[in-house]
Amino acid sequence: MFNFLFKKEQQVQELISKYLDNLRAAQEHFEKAMDCYFDFGLGENCDFLIEQTHKFESRADDFRYEIIEMMYSKVLIPESRGDILRLLESIDLIPTHFETVLFMIQGQRLKIPDFITPDLRELMRLSLECGDLVTRQVEAYFKKTENIKPLVETIDSLESRCDHIEREIVRKIFASDLEPFEKMQLKELVINMGEISDQADRVSRSVYIINIKRRV
Amino acid sequence: MNSLLGGIFLGWSLGANDAANVFGTAVSSRMVKFWTAAILAATFVLVGALVEGQSGIETLQNLTSFTSNQAIVASVAAAVTVTLMTLLGLPVSTSQAVVGAILGVGLLNRQLNFAGLGKVVVCWLGTPVGGIVLTIIVYKLLAAIANSMNLNIFQADILLRLCLIFAGSYGAYALGANNVANVTAVFVGAGMLSVSAAVLIGGLSIGLGILTFSRGVMETVGKKLVRLDPFSALVVVLAQAITVHFYALIGVPVSTSQAVIGAVLGVGIIKGVNTIHRRTLVHIFLAWFITPFVASLFALFLDFAIHLRYIPGH
Repeated sequence: MFNFLFKKEQQVQELISKYLDNLRAAQEHFEKAMDCYFDFGLGENCDFLIEQTHKFESRADDFRYEIIEMMYSKVLIPESRGDILRLLESIDLIPTHFETVLFMIQGQRLKIPDFITPDLRELMRLSLECGDLVTRQVEAYFKKTENIKPLVETIDSLESRCDHIEREIVRKIFASDLEPFEKMQLKELVINMGEISDQADRVSRSVYIINIKRRV
Repeated sequence: MNSLLGGIFLGWSLGANDAANVFGTAVSSRMVKFWTAAILAATFVLVGALVEGQSGIETLQNLTSFTSNQAIVASVAAAVTVTLMTLLGLPVSTSQAVVGAILGVGLLNRQLNFAGLGKVVVCWLGTPVGGIVLTIIVYKLLAAIANSMNLNIFQADILLRLCLIFAGSYGAYALGANNVANVTAVFVGAGMLSVSAAVLIGGLSIGLGILTFSRGVMETVGKKLVRLDPFSALVVVLAQAITVHFYALIGVPVSTSQAVIGAVLGVGIIKGVNTIHRRTLVHIFLAWFITPFVASLFALFLDFAIHLRYIPGH
């Protein structure tokens, strides 16, 4: 009934929805780019998908700045404003990690040895599951579509599995006969891939805390 | 009209200072624009004064009998007390200054309505206590409702904002109903104004204070409340408004600031934290004793001064 009084709030809500859709698109392109790389190695197709992922990452930044600008034009009470802005900053690190991983592969012309490929694929699959779940959790927080607590627990357990796989891959890399600089390169790649689930876990916990904080 | 200036000044300073207790949170946190808050507060103060301001006037005018000069003395003494204590940074309540000044006039007349005075003093003590008790009740009630609503952050914020506007408007209504007596009761007692003229002039002068000079106070005093979380700040404003409205119904002008302090203490009790400095509590006790004492001294002094006569050759 009073919707016309709160136009800006509605616009921010719409922007957040667009931001989350964009995050999903960035993740989808990251996944395609990684699959393409694992299956066919670097090439035209892979470069195109990396470029697309980068485009969605940049668009995420644009959406975030637009949301910040609108929030500071007196949308929401200051406490909520601060919570949302910190949350968006934290979510924004997820596509940044997608981009970092792809740019490392592309820029350093990385070659993944066969003995870690299955583990890396599994790490990627679980990390992307964390990404999916955290986007769903953030959406659920803003739209109150489902209970967020079970999602926090699932993301936490997936993140633990990712950590375990990450350690396992690093162990295998250093137990191999690869050149030392190759070991360091691959280790950096693995750590950056692991950062995706770590960041998803951080975002998930932030959402949970913000939600608890608002209960009276 | 000139003889009413002391009362009008008192109303103006009351409006300038006390509007912060009802709309300070909303304005200083930028949830409501100053002019929206000021216009709402001034309007509801006037409505409160017109609808329910009579009983406070009856209580104060019955504390003693006044001549016209004594009414002017009482209002000027109260206004000077409020201004002086504000300038010195000492705790002050307009209600207590007015009652102190009336007490001074009553001493001069050797006529005081002790039953009425007792009722007023008991209500002063009851103001912060009422603030505490009501905060606990209102907090529990609103928290149960809020937690059962399952609102998203945007809906919750919109609701909070609307509630703050409602609570602020109700607080302004209660302020007008309760405190208008401070401004013009003495003039009714002296037969200079009818009750309806008194509530109108009192309400307008409080409203004028809100519209012309409350911005700074709202932004500074409001921030003290904003340090509480927004929900608690809403509860404080609402509990304060109910407390002050309750005393308006009884017909005793009380301090809105002391009701707020009681309400903030109530939030502290619920959350198990210390929300008020011991110094603030000491200030309330000091205000209970010092303000009426100083105001009655001023009233005695002013009455003495206006009766001085120059006798040539002596």
